[in-house]
Amino acid sequence: MKFSTKGRYGLRAMVDLAVNSKGEHVALCSIAERQGISTNYLEQVFSTLRKSGLVKSVKGAQGGYILAEPPSDIKVGRILRALEGPLSVIDEKSETSYDNEIGIEQCIKLCVWDKMNKALNDLADSVTLEDLVDNYRKLVGIDDTMYYI
Amino acid sequence: MKISTKGRYGLEALVDLAIHSSEGCVSLKSISERCDISEAYILQIFLVLRRAGIVESVRGAQGGYMLAKKPSEITVGDVLTALEGPLVPVACCITSKEDPICERYGKCATFGFWESVMNTLNDVAYSITIDDLVEYYKNNVLNNDYEIEYYI
Repeated sequence: MKFSTKGRYGLRAMVDLAVNSKGEHVALCSIAERQGISTNYLEQVFSTLRKSGLVKSVKGAQGGYILAEPPSDIKVGRILRALEGPLSVIDEKSETSYDNEIGIEQCIKLCVWDKMNKALNDLADSVTLEDLVDNYRKLVGIDDTMYYI
Repeated sequence: MKISTKGRYGLEALVDLAIHSSEGCVSLKSISERCDISEAYILQIFLVLRRAGIVESVRGAQGGYMLAKKPSEITVGDVLTALEGPLVPVACCITSKEDPICERYGKCATFGFWESVMNTLNDVAYSITIDDLVEYYKNNVLNNDYEIEYYI
């Protein structure tokens, strides 16, 4: 049971963008370099993020990407759903329809999968991109004030 | 991030075994018929569950499988971990400082989030026992059937 590279790399790239943007557009190749992800792959990821309204792009020499909203307004759940689809521990497509028949399978769905999905979605929607950025700054010791020194 | 058919079918077959084990050993064939999962697949799953100490096999004409512990002592987390490996959303959740699989270990912006996803999913999985599922089935499925029979 794993998240795909799209979700993992995409989330990391969004934190990188939030940390390094400071109101300016950020070139994908600089994110790619810092995060060790290929630029080609990031292009795919950011195209999805742009369609979901999470980032905006500007073409040209000074172009690149910028967050469409403040990091405090972007929930991690929104980023992951944009990249991975609905956050569910089981494949919704493979679920059988339970029209009339209630059996063990549906009991397990109600008692286990639905509970795991709720916990997963609640958690992802309780954490914002800003929380991850703050956490990252603490980890690497970047303090905003140092830019003013 | 998905739980595979192995985990899903395994849990279903195990709950079926628990429901029917009051009648003694349960044959793979009967589980296969009731759950509509192939006998070969259930065998493959039960071999793993046997190694994990969750089921026991009994040989012979009246042989089959039974739970190795009380249903209240087997959690969904035990079953899924046996069949799927540790419930982690990303591989780095279970690596250690001594043996990191990523050079970002210790300064990764997203590691903390993935760790809390892992803890949340495990909390749910280890809080539900096979007995909880059997009881839910008996109260919500069997009781309804009895009611229908009763009134006819």
